[in-house]
Amino acid sequence: MAANSDGINDIHWLMDILQNIDVGLVVLDRNYDVQLWNAFMEGHSGLSPQRAKGENLFSLFPDIDESWFRQKAEPVFQLKTRTFTIWEQRPYLFHFRNSRPITGRSEFMYQNTSIIPLESVNRQADHICVIIYDVTDTAVGKLDVSRANETLSQIQTRDSLTGLLNKSSWLPVLEDYFQSQQPGCLLLMDMDHFRDLNHSIGHQQCDELLRRIGQGLKSLSADNYAARFGGEIFSVILDNHDAASSMELAEKLRRSVLNLGRNSQHDISASIGVAERSDQNGSAMEWLSNADKALYHAKESGRNRTSLFKN
Amino acid sequence: MPAAAEILTEDQRDCYQELTNVAMGQAADRLARLLNAYVVLPIPKISVIENSDLNMALQGATGDSSVSAVCQGFIGAGISGEAMLMFNDASFASLASLMKYEGPLTQEAELELLMDTASVLIGACIHGIGDQLEIVFNQGHPVVLGQHCDLKDLVAYGNNGWDKALAIEIHYTIEHVNIDCELLLLFTEESVKTLNKKVDYLLD
Repeated sequence: MAANSDGINDIHWLMDILQNIDVGLVVLDRNYDVQLWNAFMEGHSGLSPQRAKGENLFSLFPDIDESWFRQKAEPVFQLKTRTFTIWEQRPYLFHFRNSRPITGRSEFMYQNTSIIPLESVNRQADHICVIIYDVTDTAVGKLDVSRANETLSQIQTRDSLTGLLNKSSWLPVLEDYFQSQQPGCLLLMDMDHFRDLNHSIGHQQCDELLRRIGQGLKSLSADNYAARFGGEIFSVILDNHDAASSMELAEKLRRSVLNLGRNSQHDISASIGVAERSDQNGSAMEWLSNADKALYHAKESGRNRTSLFKN
Repeated sequence: MPAAAEILTEDQRDCYQELTNVAMGQAADRLARLLNAYVVLPIPKISVIENSDLNMALQGATGDSSVSAVCQGFIGAGISGEAMLMFNDASFASLASLMKYEGPLTQEAELELLMDTASVLIGACIHGIGDQLEIVFNQGHPVVLGQHCDLKDLVAYGNNGWDKALAIEIHYTIEHVNIDCELLLLFTEESVKTLNKKVDYLLD
């Protein structure tokens, strides 16, 4: 007798625990009709177990993607295997509000689910249990970290003023381009007498100038081909351009820099060196040094001009 | 080999091989039914690996190409471990067509394929081994280790409190299509002691 009442107690306890446990429990039959709906589900959905029982899951929650959910649930019925979904696949199965509606940082509850087979006496899995875990804090934390990492890598690879790549992240791009054997030209541009300009128009104006030049360079080629190479030096890979068309582009660039100073009392100009990629270039660094030599030549021959590297 | 000899005998190793054969047969059967394709049954490789060798074990499993992987912890009767499923990224196109997955093969779609296959394969294998040893294993939630990443980045977090583990490697391929996946079951060193007792019981 005592043992018997112990057994009844156990069942009562278990039922109490299942009701109060902080995970969602839903039992579905072969037609996806709800057979069990615990307090977690009631609390978050506002649907009482009496209302939910016997109703079809997909008519109760039309926003559940039926074919997606069936794809996860059918193997459980057919193969009697457990399946899982994680918030990275879909943020949630049931669209519930965050369980911390005031201080929570996400509007909705991120969920992981396990779907387990429930066998009947004939060993068939004719019911499944869907267990819903609230993983909002984990998900929000993980998303924060990945966003922070993205920002960090942005800070590491890009120049904050112009948004162009910085030298250390552009050099590998140049190396890859060189390895790919594609034809193209390399352009190096250095502002003329920039220190004097800094003195006369001030740092803020100079920064604005560099920012506008950076904007202009972005339109010259693919986003990651242009870089702020150093203080007032810019570098651009002109992909698939030959020397003639590159010189044309470079001249246009030089003139537009000159134009920036048209309405001011100060001379604003730049010198540009261009080097075409050739089979004689043994390395990307040699190609870069050719462009540098051309730039030096442009400076030496009076500045505000464009030079092409010649062997 | 010396590492292995310290924690399991030759007989025990053979026994694990046999247990795995049965379990992965069941898993392959389920995979075949899921994909409706013929799954080639491989020979499982049983070894004892050290923490520092984990990357190498993974490398041997999948070569150098970029991979996507999920892992899942399991525990039961004092035995715990992790299952890792890795796909060569080249496999997804074939997998999508076998699983009749429509729409573009985005990173999200690949994650679905990875998760669906992992659910079936890992569950069947672990429970297959558990059934034979009369252990009920509880599975934790799968965790994505990475998508389209270099193998070395998958488990780059170094020392996490274990030295040796029993590794069961199962390399699944599907006939006539380019699907290449590797299931790695890793049991912790303490678990191996308990497992060995169970296995000795079978051997007697």
